[in-house]
Amino acid sequence: MAERLTRRGFLSSTALAAGATGLLAGCASESSGPQAKTSGNAPKEVFTSPTRKLGGSLSILMWSHFVPRHDKWFDKFVSEWGKKVGVEVRVDHINTVDVPRRAASEIQAGRGHDVIQHIAPFSQYEPSVLDMSDLVQEATRRWGRQLELCRKSSYNPNTKRFYAYCPGWSPDPGDYRKSMWQKVGLPNGPASWDDLLRGASEIKRSTGVPCGIGLSPETDSNMAARALLWSFGGSEQDANERVVIDSDATVAAVDFMTRLWKGAETSEVFSWVPASNNQALIAGRSSYILNSISAWRTAMGTNRTIGDDIFFTPALRGPKAALAAQHVIQQWIIPKHAANADAAKEFLLHYTANFPAVTYNSELYDLPGWPSLVPQLNGWLDADPFGARPANKLALLKTATSWSTNIGYPGPSNPAIGEIFSTNVLPTMFGRAARGQVSAKQAVADAAKQIDSIFKNWRSRGLVGG
Amino acid sequence: MTSTRTEAATAAPDVRGKARLADREGFLAWAMLLPSVVYIVALVGVPFLLAIAFAFSDVTTGDPSFDFVGFDNFRAVFDDGVFWRALRNTLVFTLASMVLIVVFGKILANILVADFHGKWFVRFLVLLPWTTPVALSTISWLWFLDSIYSPVDWVLRHLGLIDGNVVWLGRPGTAMASVVAVQAWRLTPLAAVIVMAGLVAIPRDIDEAARIDGAGFWRRMVEVTIPLTLPVIAVAALFGAIMTFTDMTVSYVLTRGGPTHATDVLASWAYFRGIEGGDVGQGAAIALFLFPLLLAGAIAILRAVRRLEAG
Repeated sequence: MAERLTRRGFLSSTALAAGATGLLAGCASESSGPQAKTSGNAPKEVFTSPTRKLGGSLSILMWSHFVPRHDKWFDKFVSEWGKKVGVEVRVDHINTVDVPRRAASEIQAGRGHDVIQHIAPFSQYEPSVLDMSDLVQEATRRWGRQLELCRKSSYNPNTKRFYAYCPGWSPDPGDYRKSMWQKVGLPNGPASWDDLLRGASEIKRSTGVPCGIGLSPETDSNMAARALLWSFGGSEQDANERVVIDSDATVAAVDFMTRLWKGAETSEVFSWVPASNNQALIAGRSSYILNSISAWRTAMGTNRTIGDDIFFTPALRGPKAALAAQHVIQQWIIPKHAANADAAKEFLLHYTANFPAVTYNSELYDLPGWPSLVPQLNGWLDADPFGARPANKLALLKTATSWSTNIGYPGPSNPAIGEIFSTNVLPTMFGRAARGQVSAKQAVADAAKQIDSIFKNWRSRGLVGG
Repeated sequence: MTSTRTEAATAAPDVRGKARLADREGFLAWAMLLPSVVYIVALVGVPFLLAIAFAFSDVTTGDPSFDFVGFDNFRAVFDDGVFWRALRNTLVFTLASMVLIVVFGKILANILVADFHGKWFVRFLVLLPWTTPVALSTISWLWFLDSIYSPVDWVLRHLGLIDGNVVWLGRPGTAMASVVAVQAWRLTPLAAVIVMAGLVAIPRDIDEAARIDGAGFWRRMVEVTIPLTLPVIAVAALFGAIMTFTDMTVSYVLTRGGPTHATDVLASWAYFRGIEGGDVGQGAAIALFLFPLLLAGAIAILRAVRRLEAG
């Protein structure tokens, strides 16, 4: 017969169990993305001695890159730098959607990582981060002029501070299935929004495969909404940060989206998460999407035939312009609570100096914010080192800076623009009209009211001009 | 010898002292309660007070410095159409989920108290949704309801019930229905366990007397079982309502509040404005709006329970 459990025995067992649980929880940690295979053709890394003596430790919080090879390379790269300069470095890679909430909690707590990297504008953190002007000046002295879209995504003209350091970015071209577009007489894909409407509607009519411009509360739909808006001559703000969304150009863009959705899309685009358009394109369930090159790289690894059928277009031409939003914008911030800001800044200069390796190890996903840093780039885009067929499939990215711009164009990426982006005001505006819930004019008026209120709020804090 | 005896003499009262401490009901009661009290104060009380303070401040995610702004945040929130949409969605989400949770909870409870072969396995399956972490189970549902790869659609297609995919999360009506269904699926086991406790507490002789009087299953259910378990069912409904009213995980993971805010609830909208948008003050004002509604709902249900018990 089993012994009866005494009260003391119960207490002891409970204490032991609690201790064991705590120990296990303590052992758990964040992990980086899946391992990638290495390549022997990577550019040589350079080392420049830091301008001051460094020591102590450096902790970095950053996203898990969409290209797994990058994280494997980065962790080794940063570790080798740490050994050379006498700094103990720790890197925590987390899912990109978790970065804002983690950064918010660390800044509220006044402790945490020394450097935080995100891939969307981080302007709302300006009051709690170090001014990076000295770093940008030094980088500009070394490598020449910084790209305008990187500068506008990290500089606040009202406070004249660089709230973030932006050494890299990724374009957001159109991705299309060549075999489908050939059949509608556009083998090079659409060149304008009108081409898209005509060709994608025809593809949907003849094959049932819809177009994949998202209308969902997520990042890619936000990018697409802005590309369409700018191409029709509309924008959220002007260059002086005054709200100008309520315009005939915006109404025309919303009207166009309504026609595109009704003629060429389905309700799927309202349900999408950021990975959905990639999946749809690869599965042959979408003829055209707006995304970075990662969807295609994924297909190259999993199904070569599909990978070879995916091609790219630059920003589509609208009545007023041909512009696309940047897909990823590197934002490195150093919170005021950082214990080793000197090491953080020195590391960022070292990282920037090695941007050829960043671009290469991200499989041409990350492009440089200081173009002179990667003289090999055009050669790689003309002859893809990772086996694109044809080899010059990415050649259109050589002109990407001419058709890409920052979130908030023609003004800077200020905190009001960040909040409009995060609360999905624009995809909702387009979506409500497309579904027929309200007229295009009403959808724009409702969005304008929200945007006005958001701008007023941030303007009162001195972070937004106008 | 002397020193050994002295050590033994000092050790013995220690053991007796420890034994007395572990056997004292009052001390143990406090010791057992203390973790809960600390937990509630630290993780519920303090954040609640912070939320009140933030709602009257201009705190942002990037600027923790506190400046009093009066009712500005509330005025801005009430002036926003999305807030009222989220409030309406929250009420629909809560009421619909609560009804499903109670109905399915009662049915499951009846199954759980019945005697049949493989009962332990059925109990295990029934409790599984409740024991699985909510984020994990909701991500599974995200895949079940995927617009392209949905296994639910696949089954329905092969049964000849639909032609193309339903796109559950892409239409306002089906998106809300999906969110409600997943929430009901998740919380039904909890309601079932609560109701089961009420069912086993019904004296057997009452049920037997009803049988002898010729009452069938449905008559016993409606006139004996349900009236006797009504207070417990009300408690299950209260738990379901509170846990649904304050939940943002299901809506956030499945739809991120879309399409076009059709499934945004107060908790998710507070998160979008406060954390992702960066305006902690307005986010706190939205979150705080949950409190009076919850309090009123809880008081109403508990009063009803007391009246039922008194009756």
